[in-house]
Amino acid sequence: MTSVETKSRAAGKPETGQPVLIIDDVVKTFGDAEEAVTAVDHVSFNVKQGEFVAVIGPSGCGKSTLFNIIGGLLGEYDGNVMIDDERISGPHPAVGMVFQEESTFPWRSVIDNVAFPLELRGVAKSERYDRARHFIGLVGLDGFEKRFPSQLSGGMKQRVSIARTLVSNPRILLMDEPFAALDEQTRLLLGDKITQIQQELKQTTLLITHNLTEAVQLSDRIVVMTYRPGKVKRIADINLQRPRTSDVVGSDAFGHYVAEIWNDLREEASRGMQETEQVARADRRHG
Amino acid sequence: MASTGAIAMRVPVSRAVRERRETRNVFYVRAIVALAIVAIWEGISWSGLFFGDVVPSLAKIIPALFKLLVNPAFWANLQITLVEAAASLAIGAIAGIVVGILLGSSRFFGAAFEPYVYYLSPTPRIILFPIMIMWFGVGIASKIALGALSSFFAIALSTAAGMRQIDKVLIRVGRSFRATPWQMATKIYLPAMRLPVLTGIRLGLGNALITALLAETKLSNQGLGFMIMQIYTRFDMPTLYALLIVVFFIAGACNAVIGMIARSTK
Amino acid sequence: MASRKTPLVATSWFPLTVGALTFVAIGVIFEILLRTDVLNRYIIPLPSEVLLAFERIVVEEGVLTRTGVSAFEVLTAGLACVIVGVPLGVLLYRFDIVRRALEDWIAALAAAPIVLAFPLFLVLFGRGSTTVIVIAFAYGLAPVVLKTLEGLIETRRVLINVGKSLNMSQTQMFWKILFPSAIPSIFTGIRLSWTFCVIAVIGVEFLVNLGGLGQLINDLAERYDMPGTYAGIGFVILVSVIFFIILEWIEKWLQPAR
Repeated sequence: MTSVETKSRAAGKPETGQPVLIIDDVVKTFGDAEEAVTAVDHVSFNVKQGEFVAVIGPSGCGKSTLFNIIGGLLGEYDGNVMIDDERISGPHPAVGMVFQEESTFPWRSVIDNVAFPLELRGVAKSERYDRARHFIGLVGLDGFEKRFPSQLSGGMKQRVSIARTLVSNPRILLMDEPFAALDEQTRLLLGDKITQIQQELKQTTLLITHNLTEAVQLSDRIVVMTYRPGKVKRIADINLQRPRTSDVVGSDAFGHYVAEIWNDLREEASRGMQETEQVARADRRHG
Repeated sequence: MASTGAIAMRVPVSRAVRERRETRNVFYVRAIVALAIVAIWEGISWSGLFFGDVVPSLAKIIPALFKLLVNPAFWANLQITLVEAAASLAIGAIAGIVVGILLGSSRFFGAAFEPYVYYLSPTPRIILFPIMIMWFGVGIASKIALGALSSFFAIALSTAAGMRQIDKVLIRVGRSFRATPWQMATKIYLPAMRLPVLTGIRLGLGNALITALLAETKLSNQGLGFMIMQIYTRFDMPTLYALLIVVFFIAGACNAVIGMIARSTK
Repeated sequence: MASRKTPLVATSWFPLTVGALTFVAIGVIFEILLRTDVLNRYIIPLPSEVLLAFERIVVEEGVLTRTGVSAFEVLTAGLACVIVGVPLGVLLYRFDIVRRALEDWIAALAAAPIVLAFPLFLVLFGRGSTTVIVIAFAYGLAPVVLKTLEGLIETRRVLINVGKSLNMSQTQMFWKILFPSAIPSIFTGIRLSWTFCVIAVIGVEFLVNLGGLGQLINDLAERYDMPGTYAGIGFVILVSVIFFIILEWIEKWLQPAR
C-alpha cells in the first residue's frame, strides 16, 4: 500500500456529496464480561466527499474510541466502518490522523517531520521536500522549515502535525481534539487556518471535539453524542455561509446554533459530571 | 485481517486469570535463566577449562558458604565492617544534610559551591585513601573517614535537589497562612524532602559500605575486605566465592531496608 | 528583590568567583598554618609544594602515558558496555516477559559492589589490563541496559500511534520512532556507565597496583612523596572531572531534540 499518489487531489475521487466514510451501527465494549463498559453504542452516520463533520460530546462519550476505530488503531469492534466498500480493521491509507497530544517527532526538523510519510514511501529527497514545503506554507509556517519542535509554540507544533498528515493526501482527514491543549484565541485563529485549508483542498474532514464554538465554527454537520454509553443523540446541519472565518463567531446565527447544540449537550454533560463525582465518592469510601 | 463484517471472537479471559498466568511465566523465565547460569557454571567447572579451582563447582561453594557462616572470624569481621559503614553513614549524612540544606536554600551558596560537590561526586574516592591513612592512621578511623566522604556527596546533592524541587506553590501557600519559620520547616520542607533525603541516604550507605570494604582490601588487619584478601592469598576459591556472595547479599539487603523505610514512612 | 539593579549575589560571575576564591583562601590558610607549624608538615604538605609537584609528576612520572593507559581501558570497557548493553536493553523491551523476569535482577546487579570482586577477576584474567577492563565492563553494563529499556518504554504512546496510522512496519517503527525517541535516555545511560567505568578503572589500578593513573597514586604514596601524592590525586580528579564535563556536554547537545 505504498503507491505514490499524484499531486492532483481531485483525480479519482468521488463527486462532492458522495459518502466516503460510512459508520454503520458500530458498537465497542471494553473490559471483562462482568465489568464491561460500552463506549460506543450503535453509532451510525456518514461523511460525504468534501464535507466537514464534527463529533461532539462530553468527556466519556466514546469520541476517542470512535476516533481510534475509524483510524484503525482499534481493530476489534462490532458493526462496520467502511471506506470504498472495505471494512476498516487496521490503519487505512485513505485516512490521515491528527492526534490530540502533541505528536511531532522532537528529533526531526519541521520539514523532516512533514516529509516523514513521504520518506516512508521512498519518495526522493528533493521531491518530498518540495511537497513538504507546499504544506508547510499551507499551514502558515513558511520560514520555520529548519526549526525543531522544541523551538515552536504549541499551536505551531499542532500545525506541523496537521501538515504532516496532509502531505500524504489523505482522502479523509481525521482529527481528535487537535486544539485541546491550546488557549482560546489560538484555537479560533487555527480554526480559521483549518477552514481555509479545507476550502482550498476540498478536504473531507471528521473532527472529534468537546468544544462547542470550535464545532460550530468549522463544521457543515455536527454529530452530538450522549454520555456513556456513547450514542448519536442528534445530527445537526450547520448552514453558515462559506467561505467562513472566525468572524462568524459574532453572528446571530452562530449564537443560535451554539445555543441549540448546548441544549442537547447540557443534559449529557451534567450526567457525566454527576457520575464522575459518584465514582470519586465511591473511591474515597473504598480507599 | 480482512474479516469483512464478521464479529470478532473474543475469548473471555478475566484479568485476574491473565495476571496469574503472567506471574507464573515470569517465574518460569527466572527459573530457566537461573538454571542456565548454574548449568553453564557447572559445565565450565567440570570442563577444566580454567586452571584448578578457579571456577569451583557449586558442590564446593555451598559447603564453603556454610562453613563461613559458622566461622566466628567472619562474624567479627562483619561487625567491624558494619560499624565502619554505620559510622561513615552517620557522619556523611549529618554533614551531607547540613551542606545540602545550605546549597539548596541559598541560591548564592548553590551557585558558588554546588558545582564542586556535583563534579567531585562521581570521582573515584578510593584514591584519597593514602591521604586518609596519613591523617587518621591505618586503623578503623581512616576507613570511616573515607566512607563518610563517599556518602557525603550523594546525600548533599540529593538534599539540595530535594530542597529546590519543593513545589513553589506549597511554599507560597505556607507563607500566605503566615506560617512561622519553624512551622514552615516541620510542616512543609521536612515532609516534602523526606523522599529525596532517603534516596541520598540509600546511595550514601551503598557508597560508604563499598568504600570501607575496598579500603579494607588495600590496607587493614580486620573487616570483611581484609578477610577477602586473606582468602585470596590462600587461594581458597570456594570460600572467596562464598564470601563475595554474602557481601553482595548484605549490600542488597542494606539497599532494600532503606527502600522499605522510604516506602513505609509515606 | 525590590532593588532594580541586579544585586551582586544574583549575577552569574560573582558566586563563581567567591567559590573559586574560597578554595584559594583555604589553600593560603593551610600554607600559613603549616609554615607556622600549627599543622604538622609530615601529614599535610605545603600547598605551594603540591602546586610545584604538578610539574614534576608530569615530567618524571610519565603521567601522559599513564593517562593513555587508563583512557584506553575506560574506552574499551565503555564501548563494550554500549555494544552489549544497548542490544540487551532492546531485547528486554521486545520481550516483555523477559523484562519482567530480569529487570529487578539487573537493577540489583547495578547496585552490587562488583569492584569488590577484583580478587576473583585477578585469578580469572590475570594481572593485566584485561582484568581492569572486564571489571569496569561488569560495573558499567547495567546503566546502559536499564536506560535503553527505559528510553524505549517511555516512547510517547501518541508517536507510536502516528507510526501505526501510517502503516509502518515493525522495523520502520523501531528505527524511525522507538530508537530515535530513546536516544537521549540511552545517552544518559552511557554517561552513567562511563562514569562507573572511570571509577572502576582507577580504583582497580590503585588497589592492585596495575597500569595507569590509579597506580601512580599508589606508587607516590608508597614512596611517601607527600606533595607528589596530593598532586597526583589532584591530577586524577581533574582528569575525571574534565571527562565528566565532556560527557555532559554531549548529553546536553543531544537533549534539545527532546
